[in-house]
Amino acid sequence: MKTARALVLATVAALAHAHVATALPTMVRLGYGDCAACHVSPQGGGPLTVYGRGIDRSQSLRGGDYTPSDDGLTKALSVGGRITQDFRLLLRRQATWAPGGTRTDVFRPRLMYRNVAEIAGGFRASATLTAETTHAPRPARAYDPPTQADTLSVNTALLHYKVNETIEIAAGKDQLPSGINIPDLAVFIKSRNRLGYYDAPTQLKMFWNSKRYHVTPFAFAPGGNERAGEAETGTGALAEVDVLGAGRTIAGVSVLKGVSESGSRRVLGSYVRLGFGRWGVLAEHDMATHDRDTLSGARLPQSTTYAQVFVAMREWLVASAIAERARVTAPFEEKLTAGAFELSARLASQATLGVNARVQRDGRTGRTSPSLVVQAAFKTIP
Amino acid sequence: MRKARDIRRTLGAIGALTAAMLTGPVLVAGEGADETEVRGGVAVFEVGTNIRAIRVHGKSNALQGRALVRLGPDGLAIDELRASVPVQTLDTGMSLRDGHMRKYIFTTADGRLPDLDFSATNAVCTGSADRADCRLTGQLTIRGNAQPFTITVVATRQSSGFRVVGDSVVRLSSYGIEPPSQLGVRTEDEVKLHVDVVARSVRRDALLTGVPR
Repeated sequence: MKTARALVLATVAALAHAHVATALPTMVRLGYGDCAACHVSPQGGGPLTVYGRGIDRSQSLRGGDYTPSDDGLTKALSVGGRITQDFRLLLRRQATWAPGGTRTDVFRPRLMYRNVAEIAGGFRASATLTAETTHAPRPARAYDPPTQADTLSVNTALLHYKVNETIEIAAGKDQLPSGINIPDLAVFIKSRNRLGYYDAPTQLKMFWNSKRYHVTPFAFAPGGNERAGEAETGTGALAEVDVLGAGRTIAGVSVLKGVSESGSRRVLGSYVRLGFGRWGVLAEHDMATHDRDTLSGARLPQSTTYAQVFVAMREWLVASAIAERARVTAPFEEKLTAGAFELSARLASQATLGVNARVQRDGRTGRTSPSLVVQAAFKTIP
Repeated sequence: MRKARDIRRTLGAIGALTAAMLTGPVLVAGEGADETEVRGGVAVFEVGTNIRAIRVHGKSNALQGRALVRLGPDGLAIDELRASVPVQTLDTGMSLRDGHMRKYIFTTADGRLPDLDFSATNAVCTGSADRADCRLTGQLTIRGNAQPFTITVVATRQSSGFRVVGDSVVRLSSYGIEPPSQLGVRTEDEVKLHVDVVARSVRRDALLTGVPR
């Protein structure tokens, strides 16, 4: 029974640690202090701008200049450049060793279609559809059950309105804005704060990005795939400043309050994105309090911490050392720490390979569970 | 007894002189200029673009130069300043962008890649011998085209020489250079410059290395 339980836990952990290389906050090392430099969406992730595609290619082993395709079919599909779209295929194999040495292998292929359509007068629409055969829900907790996964899911469906060069408003379904905005949605700061793969609440958000200050207030409502009693409504905001003004020293805070039938949660976070040329640091600490009416009004403080030091050994080859920590007080006490080494090789704009070796330790039981991930990501280039 | 005291005095004087020569340029008001040089100085540039979120930063750790520094009746004075930065050492962190920068900004019509060069005949500073504000006016040469250029620097005496930190702005249009444009992103005309160097006495270095002046 214990072995079966360990296997289930290992499988959940294996599935949880599967990430999609969509946004690269490590680009802060070159002075790209926010995502809007390269991504169409100021929140990051999703299709790249034409300039972003140029940077994407320059940061690959293949290198060289990016030239937008001018063949007839591409032009027709892009409706004269008004539609940007691509397909992404992620192939991920993960081996996790449960306490006792039992190994679990998981292969998780995902296919994504991403589309941004310029409408008119500053309006555009964006969408991301994902098809998968193996799901990766957030870890199930009594005080925080995961949202429901599906074979076909809509990760993003937004209508954007660009008011001017510094202000943009977006409404629809998407992941909520978050601090260091790393693509790995399984790390504690994401998976323990309802920022997993299937968390896409309906929301209204505004991006105010001045030269040195970025402020993102948002209000959100259920996305439709929450479990019974967990449909959450709330508000939040991110506020960050470019401390030294060169796009390489970003410090920010985040706040969020959400209320559902089952209770409420409040999150207060702080984060930094620091770049020093070839290397940099990403760090975030979030403190959450879950008030659960369904658990006799229990108040559950939770803290999650993430720290990553990365080095671009080559422009296309980035190595990272990552440390994580999660703490939850009784009656659902958890004391988890984890360390990982990650290597990401962008071979070409179309292909990225990644390896992640991670060890997680449960401080209550003293048990450790290592895991090894190999991922290949492919995408089409417009 | 007296002989021993004389020997101690002589040794003390030699020690004090040696210490003074090792700790910095010997500048005495009214005396001749001290030749100083810079090796491995830092030159940083920053330029904005038409896209708010994109600014380009670059750096070279190979600024080198020479100048005559003297302590005049009105404070520190700098003569015969000449400094240069090899264009190949300018690095923005992205090899493709570095290539574009060299090609579109620094390459001459006949395909050469000359160093950035700055020369000034003299500059009078205000302040003391330990900290002075200097306005250096001279000619900055970019891709072989010399144009008037002024940079304001602060020179602070340190144990190893003078630390010189300064800022200025270069307009690409002054040199007939079209701001580069790539995939819809065009750099601005104004490029901010920042230099941070330590100027050491050549005499001191000669003493340390044994190389004659």
